Order: sequence, then C-alpha cells, then structure tokens
Amino acid sequence: MKDTHTMKPSKKYLPGVAAALLALTAGAANAQSAGSLQVKIGVNQISPQVDSGNLSAPSQPNTKIDVKSATSAILSGTYMLTDHVSVEGYVGLPYKHDIVGDGTIAGVGKIGTVKQVSPTVFGQYRFLEANSKVRPYVGLGLTYAKFYGEEGTGALTALTNPGGPATRHKVDAAWGLSPQIGTTLLINDKWFVDASVIKTFLKTTTHLSTGQSISTKLDPLAFNLSIGYRY
Amino acid sequence: MKNFRLGWLAAAVAAAVLAACGGGGDGDQTPHVKYGKLVSFGDSLSDVGSYKVGVVAQLGGGKYNINGATGLNWTELLAAQAGVTAPCAAQTGLNAAAALGGPVPVANHSGCYGYAQGGARVTNPIGPANAALLALGDSSAALGQLTVPVVTQISNHLAAAGGSFAADDLVTVMAGGNDIFMNLAAVQGGATPDMAVAAMATAAGELAGYVKTQILAKGAKHVVVVNLPDVSTTPYGISLGAQTQGLILAMVNAFNARLSTDLAGQDVVYVDAYTVGQDQTQHPDQYGLTNVTTPACNLATMTLPTSLTCNASTLITGQTIDTHYEYADSVHPTPYGYRLLAQLVTDNLLKKGWL
Repeated sequence: MKDTHTMKPSKKYLPGVAAALLALTAGAANAQSAGSLQVKIGVNQISPQVDSGNLSAPSQPNTKIDVKSATSAILSGTYMLTDHVSVEGYVGLPYKHDIVGDGTIAGVGKIGTVKQVSPTVFGQYRFLEANSKVRPYVGLGLTYAKFYGEEGTGALTALTNPGGPATRHKVDAAWGLSPQIGTTLLINDKWFVDASVIKTFLKTTTHLSTGQSISTKLDPLAFNLSIGYRY
Repeated sequence: MKNFRLGWLAAAVAAAVLAACGGGGDGDQTPHVKYGKLVSFGDSLSDVGSYKVGVVAQLGGGKYNINGATGLNWTELLAAQAGVTAPCAAQTGLNAAAALGGPVPVANHSGCYGYAQGGARVTNPIGPANAALLALGDSSAALGQLTVPVVTQISNHLAAAGGSFAADDLVTVMAGGNDIFMNLAAVQGGATPDMAVAAMATAAGELAGYVKTQILAKGAKHVVVVNLPDVSTTPYGISLGAQTQGLILAMVNAFNARLSTDLAGQDVVYVDAYTVGQDQTQHPDQYGLTNVTTPACNLATMTLPTSLTCNASTLITGQTIDTHYEYADSVHPTPYGYRLLAQLVTDNLLKKGWL
C-alpha cells in the first residue's frame, strides 16, 4: 500500500534520479515546501481554564462560574509561504459548553449552556526540512470567539430571580491571541497526521437579563488531532 | 478532484457559519424534583395571609411585607420556582378587639397548606399580639393574632392529610423569632437574661424534635429548615440599644446552635439565613440593598404600625414596592429582602439536588 502511494506521485512529478532517492526515504517530494496547500479535518477539544470574576450585585459574595470543555470537528487550511513559514486558518463546527456554578454557588449544577465558534488565523514557523517525516512547528494566532445560542436553566433563574421569569444570558464576542505548538507526521507524500496544542488568551463578559454581569477569563487550552491532505 | 474537495470544504464552513446564527433562550426551567405542593410551617416570615380578614384586609394588608401583587414572601417565590401552586393560608381569622372591628371567625381552608402564622412560636400558643395578652396590658394584642404554634400547625396538617406527608411535598420550617420577642418581654418583666437564652435553646430543641418526629418520621422527603436571622440588627433590635442587642444576639445564637446540633445528620436542607443575613447587613451593596437599618413603611402614620397592613400607599417618601430597603417594618423584610432569602434557599436546594 505504502509503496504504491509513494511511487505514484514520484513518477508523475519528479525526474528519474530524484525519484530514486526519494523512494528510499519514503518521504514526500514536494512536502511542506513553499507554495504548497494543505487541508485538514480533525477533532478539537476546547477546555476553558476559567478564572471567573464575581457576579455583580445583587449576589452572594464570591458567586463564580466555570465553563466545561467541549469537542467538535475542525477544518483547517495551510498555505506554505516559504519552506518554513506558513499561514493556517482554523474553522470549527460549533462547540456547545455547559456553564456550571463555582465559588459560593459551586455544586448548584448546570446554570446554562453556550455555543461558540472561534475561527483562528495562525502565522507558523515549521522546523526541519520541508520533506521531513516529522515536522514540529510553532504558531501564533488571532482568534475571534463568537458566542451564541445561550440558554439558561431553572438553576440560573432560581439563583437570580426565584419564582420570576426565566433568567437569560448573553456572552460577549471576544478577540484573543493564540500561541500554538504542534507537529505533522507524514503518512505518505499526500496524507499526513497533524496534532497541536493551542492556548488562547480570551476574556469575555456574560450579561444576565436580571441586569447582572460576570466577567471571566476563559483562556482555553485546545488539543486537536487532524488528518491532512496536501495538494 | 481538487475543485470538488475545496467545494466540500467551503460548504462545511458555510454550514458552520449558518449554525452560528441561532438564538438564545430560557433553556430547561424544569426542577430536578417534581413536587406536588408546598407545605409551610412557621411565623410571619412565611405567612401568606392568615390574617387577611377584617381590619387587616380593609387596610389593604394581609402579609408581613409590602402588600401588593408583587409583595411575595420567600415561600411564595420558592413555590413558583419549584413549579407548584402558590401557597394559601390553611387557616384564617382574627380575634380583634371591638376598636379594631371585632373578631373574625377562624376558618380552615382545605387544599391550602400555608400553616405559618404571624406571631406563632415553636410550642407556646401565646405569641405577640395574641388576644390573651390584652389582659396583661399589652395594647398591641388588640389585633388578636391567632398565633397557632408550629407544633399545632404540624399536627393540624397531619390531621387533615391522613397522618402523613406526601413524598412529593416540599416542606418549609422557619420559626423562633416570636420566641425571641416573648422571652425578651419576660426579661423586661423580671426574668433573667440567662433564662431567656436558655429558653431559646429549649425552643430550638423542640423545633428540631418536631422536624424529626412529626415531619421526617411522617413521610416528608424534602424538608427545608431555615435558621433564625440575626434579630439584633433589625430596626427593632437597634431601637433597643446595645445592651439589649447583645442579649438578643445571645438568644439567637443559642437558638441556632441548638437547632443545627439537633438536626445534624438529618436529611434536611438547613439554610443558614443567620450568617448570610449578617453579611447583608455588613455589605449591603453586594446584595443590592440601599438601606438595612430603617423601615420602608411609614409606621408613624399607619393605623396599625406593622408591615401586616403596609402597602404602596403607606411607604416613606421615595420608596415603592420595588424598594431595595431590607426592612418593611421593624423586623419584616421588603419583597426584595424576601427575594434575597428565597435566593439563599434555592441555592441550598440546588446544591442538595432538590430543585
């Protein structure tokens, strides 16, 4: 299997001498070299590392929230500007996070849910040679986190306006910087596996229909694993 | 082939963006426990209209609150949050003196489970403003509150309900304040402060005993017991001066210490209104309170100077039923004060998995 895959493009694109050399390395002729385009599909788990502020008055002191992790599919495209420098865009399918009580209200359970998409554009530097089988990289991205589809729960209403109309909440969109480390592992000269860890520095504010608000540093850590194809 | 794949990618991205256009909402508001009804025992803080008859009704009152459509106490807010019908007074009536329109006969209301009555004590049947106190020269007793004590409230319910609680009852118990007032009056009449403190511990022991033997042992599965707030920092306490405030605090502490000790290990939600109430007094801004020392009701100009007959027309200048004053009269909360108490109760219920 492996041989047929590696041999085929070699025949197609490369002169005979070079082809013989490349066949030995089971690598890829036009791996991550300047001008190449890659697309990836994978899964990404976003785990907010929440540092919550306190819910504004009227509230019990130290009323905080935590946001649980969520996993979804991601799609990404990478364009090699040079053999080492790339631009990569991430678009995830929507994530749905549970919001739970913390601090004084730890243990009250789920107080809401929120969906988000957080497209990110990275500038990356890739180490080693363009045709290396394993190729680590570092990146720095700009993330735009859009929150939507917020839903409350009976617990949120009970804590903020017991017996009253359901309390709703709204989470502000936010921009954040996203440092990244990752690596690619070539399967053959077309297909590869990519894994990366992304930390995003993200701060937002949630507004309640009761007029209260709470600011939170979400600072999520994301782990993703993708399979990619190079054109 | 390339074009096809890029087209698929574009379609997926478009789908992701479109999915981002959904709206928010209320979410699931259903409590985790399905309750049948709320059954409340206690005093004025839980009373939903036992005396909304005769002169009290004529004055636009009935609850120890700022009376009006939104003048709800914590048991009413809790009932709404728990998804059960609003509690109604299990018994109404008033032994008012002739000058206050005369007595209104006592009536029991089947299907109503709000047993709490203003003036009710834990065990002693004579609480504040009970007509029996007239003979002792207590003019406030002209109102003639029934003050059926908690022990009798519970036995009345058991008699009406076939001897047991329903498994889906949400039962609330909050009492002790009137034992403070009556024991304090006893000190003014010659009893020693130590006797008053000891009497509070005894009352709390009795209340815990009723919760165990007359409520939990009779089939109740979801019981909320609220301890006694710090009466010493109410406008009433403040008016009595530092020394008496110290005695009241000692009495409250004796009551709560015994109540919590005797209920330890019981399957109840024990709500510490005392500690949070003190924090409200010390940090009013945190709780959105604008005044924690003086009443919102204009007691000086009221026919009956009590929140029982307070409504929007009897408030001090500048305040409305939505006021963020803590107190309506010298001891009873405003609707906002009750809401803060309800929030504390729901917080505790949620942590227990009971809401």
